[in-house]
Amino acid sequence: MRVAVTGTPGTGKTTATGLLEDRLGGGSVPDLETVHLNDVLETEELYTEVDAERESKVADLEALSAWLEGRDDVVIESHLAHHFDADRVVVLRCHPEELEGRLRDRGEPEPKARENAESEALDVILAEAAEAHGLESVYEIDTTDREPAAVADALEAVLAGDRGPSAGDVDFVGYLG
Amino acid sequence: MADDDKWGVAHVHASFNNTVMTVTDLTGAETIAKSSGGTAVKQNRDEASPYAAMQMAESVAEEVKAAGITGLHVRVRGPGGNLQKSPGPGAQATIRALARSGIEIGRIEDVTPIPHDGSRAPKGKGGY
Ligand SMILES: Nc1ncnc2c1ncn2[C@@H]1O[C@H](COP(=O)(O)OP(=O)(O)O)[C@@H](O)[C@H]1O
Ligand SMILES: [Mg+2]
Repeated sequence: MRVAVTGTPGTGKTTATGLLEDRLGGGSVPDLETVHLNDVLETEELYTEVDAERESKVADLEALSAWLEGRDDVVIESHLAHHFDADRVVVLRCHPEELEGRLRDRGEPEPKARENAESEALDVILAEAAEAHGLESVYEIDTTDREPAAVADALEAVLAGDRGPSAGDVDFVGYLG
Repeated sequence: MADDDKWGVAHVHASFNNTVMTVTDLTGAETIAKSSGGTAVKQNRDEASPYAAMQMAESVAEEVKAAGITGLHVRVRGPGGNLQKSPGPGAQATIRALARSGIEIGRIEDVTPIPHDGSRAPKGKGGY
C-alpha cells in the first residue's frame, strides 16, 4: 500500500510521520517504509530550477515519480506527495493563524509563513488532492488543536482502515478577511 | 473619473467549499462591498458550490451597482483559479454572475498562492 501524507508546510507532516514510523508493522498497521520526499528531492537533485523569489526549488515531478517507481509499500511524506500515485492520500490541515505561528516559530521568513497560511486558508492542497485522486481516496485530518501524538493516532487509523475518507470539513476562508 | 465609468476590483477567494468576495476601489484601500460567503451544502458540494457562489455574487453585484460601480477587474485566489484551464466552480460562477448582473468585467488575474517549503510544485501542475 502506498500512502501519501500531504498538507501545507507547517501542518505537521514531518512531526506526525516521524511518530508514526515507530508504529509501522505493529498490530493492524501495515509495515511501510517512510519516505521524506523533500529530502529525496534535495539529495537526488530532482528539481528543474530555483524559484528565486520564494527561495524554493521547483520540483521535477516526473523525475520524482520515476524515483518512486517500484516503491509501493511506502508512506510518502511531503507537501508534494499528492502529485504521485497513491492508494490513500492523507491531507493534514491547520488553521491558518496557528499555521503561520508554527512556521514563524520554526524560523521561517514572514512572506513564506504568510503565503503558506493563505494557501491553507484557500484549501489549495486539499483541492489538488481531491482533483487528482478523487474524494474516495482523500483523508482530511485537522491538526489545529491536536497534539502530534494524536495526529499520529489519526494517521494510524487511516493505515489500519479504521477511518473513512473525508474532505472539506474545515472552512478557513474567514482568515482571508 | 466620470460616474458612468467607475471601476473597482473584485477580490474573489474560492476555496474547496466556500467562495467569498470583497469589492474595493482601484487602490484596494476602500471596501465597497463584502460578501458573507457562498458555502456549499456538504452533502451535495458539486451542485451547491457554484449555485451558492452565484447567489453570493448576485447580492454583492446589487450593492456594487448601488455604489455607482459599472466595471470590475477580478483578482481570483483559489485552487482552480487558473483561468487558462479550469477555474474552480465557485470562481467561475462568481464571475459569470457578476457579468450577468450587467457589470462590465475587465482584467481577470489569477493570484493563487503557492504552498512552498524548500521546494514547490511547478506552476499549473496543481492537479488542474
Ligand atoms: N500537532 C502539532 N501541534 C502543534 N505544533 C506542531 C504540531 N505538529 C508539528 N508542530 C510544530 O509545527 C512546526 C511544523 O511542523 P512540521 O512537522 O515541520 O510540519 P511540516 O513537515 O508539515 O512542514 C514544527 O515546529 C513542529 O514542532
Ligand atoms: Mg516537513
